[in-house]
Amino acid sequence: MANVTLRNVVKKYGVLEVVHSINLEIADSEFVVLVGPSGCGKSTTLRMVAGLEAISGGEVQIGGRVVNDLPPRERNISMVFQNYALYPHMTVRENLGFSLKVAKQAQPVIDDAVDKAAEILSLTPLLDRKPGALSGGQRQRVAMGRAIVRHPEVFLFDEPLSNLDAKLRTQMRVEIKKLHQKLKSTIIYVTHDQVEAMTLADRIVIMRDGHIEQVGTPLEVFENPLNTFVATFIGSPPMNLLDAVVKDGKLAFSDGTLIAMPPGYSQAEGQAVTFGVRADNIMPVGHALPHGEHMAEVEMEVNLTEPLGTETLLFSVLAGKEVQAKMFNPRPVQTGERMTFQIMLDKCHLFDAETGAALKR
Amino acid sequence: MKRLKLPPWLVLLLPAIIILSAVVLIPLVFSLYSSFTSYRLTRPDSIFNWVGLFNYEKAVTDVKFWAAFGRTVLLLAVALNLEMLLGLGLALMVSKVTSGQRLLRTMMMFPMMFSPILVGFQFKFIFNDNVGLVNNALQSLGITDQAIPWLVDGNLAMFSIIFAEVWTATSVFGILILAGLYAIPRDPLEAAKVDGCTSLQSFRYVTLPFLMPFIYIAMAIRSLDVARAYDIVQIMTNGGPARRTELLWTLIGRTGYVDARMGYANAMGYISIFLAIFFTVYFFKKLTQSRRELGMGA
Amino acid sequence: MATNMNHRIRRHSLKGLHFFGLFSAMMVLCVPGLWIVLNSFRPTVEIMAKPPVWIPNELNLDHYRAMFGGIGEGGVPVLTYFTNSLIISVTSTVIAILIGMAGGYAFARYKFKFKGGVFVALMVTRAVPGVALSLPLFIIFARVGIIDTHLGMVMAYVALNVPFTIWLIDGFFRQVPPELAEAAEIDGCTRWQAFWRVEFPVARSGIASAGIFAFLTSWNEYALASQLTRSTTSKTMPVGLLDFTSEFTLNWGGMCALAVLMIIPALILTFLVQKHLIAGLTFGGVKG
Repeated sequence: MANVTLRNVVKKYGVLEVVHSINLEIADSEFVVLVGPSGCGKSTTLRMVAGLEAISGGEVQIGGRVVNDLPPRERNISMVFQNYALYPHMTVRENLGFSLKVAKQAQPVIDDAVDKAAEILSLTPLLDRKPGALSGGQRQRVAMGRAIVRHPEVFLFDEPLSNLDAKLRTQMRVEIKKLHQKLKSTIIYVTHDQVEAMTLADRIVIMRDGHIEQVGTPLEVFENPLNTFVATFIGSPPMNLLDAVVKDGKLAFSDGTLIAMPPGYSQAEGQAVTFGVRADNIMPVGHALPHGEHMAEVEMEVNLTEPLGTETLLFSVLAGKEVQAKMFNPRPVQTGERMTFQIMLDKCHLFDAETGAALKR
Repeated sequence: MKRLKLPPWLVLLLPAIIILSAVVLIPLVFSLYSSFTSYRLTRPDSIFNWVGLFNYEKAVTDVKFWAAFGRTVLLLAVALNLEMLLGLGLALMVSKVTSGQRLLRTMMMFPMMFSPILVGFQFKFIFNDNVGLVNNALQSLGITDQAIPWLVDGNLAMFSIIFAEVWTATSVFGILILAGLYAIPRDPLEAAKVDGCTSLQSFRYVTLPFLMPFIYIAMAIRSLDVARAYDIVQIMTNGGPARRTELLWTLIGRTGYVDARMGYANAMGYISIFLAIFFTVYFFKKLTQSRRELGMGA
Repeated sequence: MATNMNHRIRRHSLKGLHFFGLFSAMMVLCVPGLWIVLNSFRPTVEIMAKPPVWIPNELNLDHYRAMFGGIGEGGVPVLTYFTNSLIISVTSTVIAILIGMAGGYAFARYKFKFKGGVFVALMVTRAVPGVALSLPLFIIFARVGIIDTHLGMVMAYVALNVPFTIWLIDGFFRQVPPELAEAAEIDGCTRWQAFWRVEFPVARSGIASAGIFAFLTSWNEYALASQLTRSTTSKTMPVGLLDFTSEFTLNWGGMCALAVLMIIPALILTFLVQKHLIAGLTFGGVKG
C-alpha cells in the first residue's frame, strides 16, 4: 500500500494544455474520487498516474518514489477500464492470472491467487468462460478481479461503472466499497457521476477544465462548496442560483423581491452576489422538515411537479429564474397553485456574482 | 550527444517505405528519366540519348495512342459502372433470400478466385467461334446456325472483353455492398416506412446513402488494380483484331517488349500511371467524404 | 378487396422475378468455371467435337496424368511451375504480412501529420499498372542480376502486396481496443510483449486472412511475372499457362487441368477467410 503525490502535474498535447499544474496528496489506503464533467482532465490525470500518458510537467510519486518516467509495469498499480479491456482470447482464469504469468510466477502461486480473487468476487463458476460469454456485470467483476489479483500498491478505476445499467451500478458501487474496506488499498477512482463520487469517496476531488476546483470529504463539498460550479455539480437536484444585490441587510432580486440575508454575511453589504439554496431547503409551509432559526418566506406559483414518493419536487419561478423546491410528506399539488415557501437561511450560500467564489461568512 | 530518434510510427512504416521505394519508386524514377531518352532495349547506349519531350510529343500526336487511351477510358467507365450496378442488384437479391445465404455468398465469390490470366483463357475458350461454349449453345438451341466471330469482329471482341472483365469484378462489388446491406441499422429503415416512404423511396433516401461508403471502398479497391484487365485483354485478343481492342496497357507492352522502344513505352506508361493515380486519389477522397457525411469518423 | 388482391399478385410475381434473377445470375457466375473443370476431365477430341457433345461420354484423368508426367502435353513442367509459384507466393506473403503488420499498426494506433496523405500515397503505389512498372523493373532487375530469380519475384510481390496488406491489417487492429494493450502494460507487459501477447492474438484471424489475400494476389499475378521470369527456374503457373499455347493451336484440355490446379488452393483459402476478409475491408474502410 502506498500514498500518491501529484506535484504541479501538467499535461500538454502540443500547445494545448489540458491539465494545469495539479497538486494532490493521496494518503495510504485512502479512497479518492476524481469527479467532473467530461473533458475536465480527470481521466488524463488518472492515466498519467498509470503511466499511460506521458507527464508534460511536474512530478508524480507513488509510495514516495518519483515514477514520471517509469513504464506502467514498474509502477505497481492496477487499473480497471471503462470498457473493462478484458482479453477476449483468454478465459476468465487466464485473464485473472495474466499479470502473474507475465511476472513469471510459478503456476501453483498463480492458481492460488486466481482462486482467491475469484472467491472474493464470486467468479468461481465462470472461470473457464471467455469474456464474450459473460454479462456486463460479470465482465465488470472480472475486470476488478484482474486488478486485485496481484496486490498492487494503488488501484486506479476509470469510470468502471458507466457501462452498467442503473440497478447493477448501485449494486457494484456497494461491492467496490466493501472491497476497499477488505483490502485497505489506496484507490483513485474517476467518474462523472456525482452520486458515485459522494457514495464511494473518502475524499472528493472536483475538477473542471484541467483545474482542481475543490478537494474535501463528501459532506464538506456538499455543505461548503467553494464556488458555484461545485455547488451545482454536487448534489441532486443542482443548487438553485439566483442573482441578487445586498441592500440594507436584505437580498434584493431583480424583480423587486426582498428576502432576509443568510446569517454571517454581514460584510457583503452593497455587493452583487449569487444566492444559492438547495431544493431541500425551500419547502412549502406545512410540508417542511425541522429547521434552524433563520428563515425567509416567499410565495411562488408551482409550474410542474415531480412526485418521487417520500417527497415531491416542485418547479417554480423566483425573480425570473426557475427554482426547484422540495415538499416533504407530499400531498397532490395542482399546477398553477400558489404556495408559500420557507427558505432555510442557515443552509444558504452567497457567492461572488462575478467570480462565482463563495463569500466568507 | 543525443541519438536521432525517429517517431515510432515512422519506424513501423519504414520497412514498407523501403520496399516500395526499391520496387516501385526507383523504377518509376528511372522510367521517368528514360521517357526523356530514345532508349531502346537493343541498344543500351541509347539511354544517354536525351530527347527531351520528344516521346511525349510523339505519344500525344499519335492517333494509335489516343485510340487506345479513349478505348481504355471507355472500357473502364462501362465496366466499372456495370460492375457497380450488377453488384448492387446481386447484393440486393442475395440479401432478400431467407435461407441458403451462406451458399449464395460463397457462389458469389467464385469468380474472385480466378487469376485474371485464367479468366482471359477461360473466355477466350468460351467465346471461341469454333468450339466455344457460347456458340455451341446458340447453335444447339437453334438460335443461329452461323459461328459468331466473338473475338474476331472488333465490336464483338470489345463486348467479350467487357463481359469477361465484368464477370471477374462484379463479385467484388456484390460482396462489399452485401456487407454494407448487413451493416445498415434497422431503425432508419423502419422510420422511413412509418414516415410513408415507398420501398423505392426508402431505398433511394436511406439505403443508398448508407451504402455509398461501401460502394466507394469497392471502387477504391478496383481502382487499385484495374490494370489487371491487361491480363485478360492480352490473352483474349492481344489488342487485336487489327488493334481494335488495343488498350493503353497492351500498347505499352507491345511498344516496350515487342518493338523494344523503351523510352517511348515509358512515356506512355507515365500517362497511364497518372490516369491510375488520378482515379485512386479520386475514389479515396470520395470514400473519406461519404464516411464523414455518415458520421463514421475521419 | 381489389387493391389487396393486386398487392398479392404483385408480391407473387415479384417473388418469381427475384428467384429467376438470382438463378440466372448464379448461373452466369458459376458456369464458366465449372465448364473449365468439366473440360479438364474430357478427352481433347470431345472438347473439339463438332457438333458439340453436351453430355460427356467419357471422363478421365488423362490431362492430369500428362501434366504431372511432364511428357505428352508439350512437356510443360507443371510441377516445377507449381513449386515456383508456391515458394514465391508463400515467401512474399510472409514478408508482406510482417511489413504490413508494422505499417497497419502504425496507422491504427499512432496519430501523425498527413496521415491520410501518407495512406493514399502508399495505396497509389499499388495502382501503378503492372505493365507500366514491369518495363523499368525489368531493366533494373536485369542490371542488378535478379531477373528470373525467386528473390526478384519475391521482392516484386512483397511490394505489390504491402499497400493492401496495410489497409486490411489497419482495419483489423482498429477493431482491437487500445485499452487492451494498456491493460496488458499495467499487468506488467512491455510494449512489445503487450503487442505479441494481446493485440496480435486478438487480431490474428484477421491478419491470417490478409495473408491469404496477399497469397492469392501473388499466386494469380501475371503482368509482372510474365516479364520478370524467363525460364523454369522462376516461372510461375500463370506464366506457365502460356506454354500450352503455340502459334496456331491451344491445348485446351491441358490448360484446363492446369487451371484447376491453380484454382483449388485459391478456392480452399478463399472459403476459409471470406468472412474475415469482408470484415477487414469494410471496417478499415468505413470506420476509418
